[in-house]
Amino acid sequence: MSETTPEAEPRKLAEEARDRVRFEEEALELADQVYRVARRLVSTREEAEDLMQETYSRAFRAWRSFQPGTNLRAWLLRILTNLNIDRGRRQQRSPDMQPLEEGDYFLYNKLEEAGREPNLEQERVDERLSQDDVVSALSAVPHDFRDVIVLVDIGDFSYADAAQILEIPIGTVMSRLHRGRRILKSQLAEQAVSA
Amino acid sequence: MNLGFEVDPCVKCEEQLQPYLDRELTDAERAEAEEHLDQCSYCRKRYRFEEELRRFVRQAAVEEMPPALKQKLADLRTPLF
Repeated sequence: MSETTPEAEPRKLAEEARDRVRFEEEALELADQVYRVARRLVSTREEAEDLMQETYSRAFRAWRSFQPGTNLRAWLLRILTNLNIDRGRRQQRSPDMQPLEEGDYFLYNKLEEAGREPNLEQERVDERLSQDDVVSALSAVPHDFRDVIVLVDIGDFSYADAAQILEIPIGTVMSRLHRGRRILKSQLAEQAVSA
Repeated sequence: MNLGFEVDPCVKCEEQLQPYLDRELTDAERAEAEEHLDQCSYCRKRYRFEEELRRFVRQAAVEEMPPALKQKLADLRTPLF
């Protein structure tokens, strides 16, 4: 039988409060990085802001389920991507509207064909494409592919982390990333050449 | 299976572009790709472009968090007392 001294309960509460404050501070320190990913998973800034608030609200309530020493940023993103799916914010594309996926050299070849750059390797990509081109092309990538691109190429998550966040096998992360980047380049080519 | 024709090395190199930049190729595949890139300016230009493109996409897609949101998130913290 365990005996609880009168001092034990307040001490336990104080320790828990300290752990919770530490957790909240660490989560808030990561908010900028989480937002960068959130912003590209949804269409508008307002949606991203709502999603961030819901995510942090849930994270602060569920802080005990986070295992210290594991990846807090991935844990937060897992909450965020689940909320994003649950709320049905994603605009599903019907299968016949899937953008055409071209080869990996497609964008370069299109820019070259457009005759604007006889020597593209000497030029910078940002002289050929604008930030708006990238944002718009990314938003045109179907969500399953875009989620992986945003996590790996923008959020800088490993394949393993992305697999854990999205709850899909690592092989699926790799194939979606591969196809998604090709779709992104097709979209960029469309915009760059029609501009 | 040998189908009686050679795969175009540039087509193969294009297929290896993403795994090459993601460092997923085996040492032998990587060496093969690099040998081709040393000789082929067509593929070399496209590999350089892809590297530059990835950097650009990463930078272009970043939108910083509005300061007001940061405060809203901080306000969600559990009050101590």
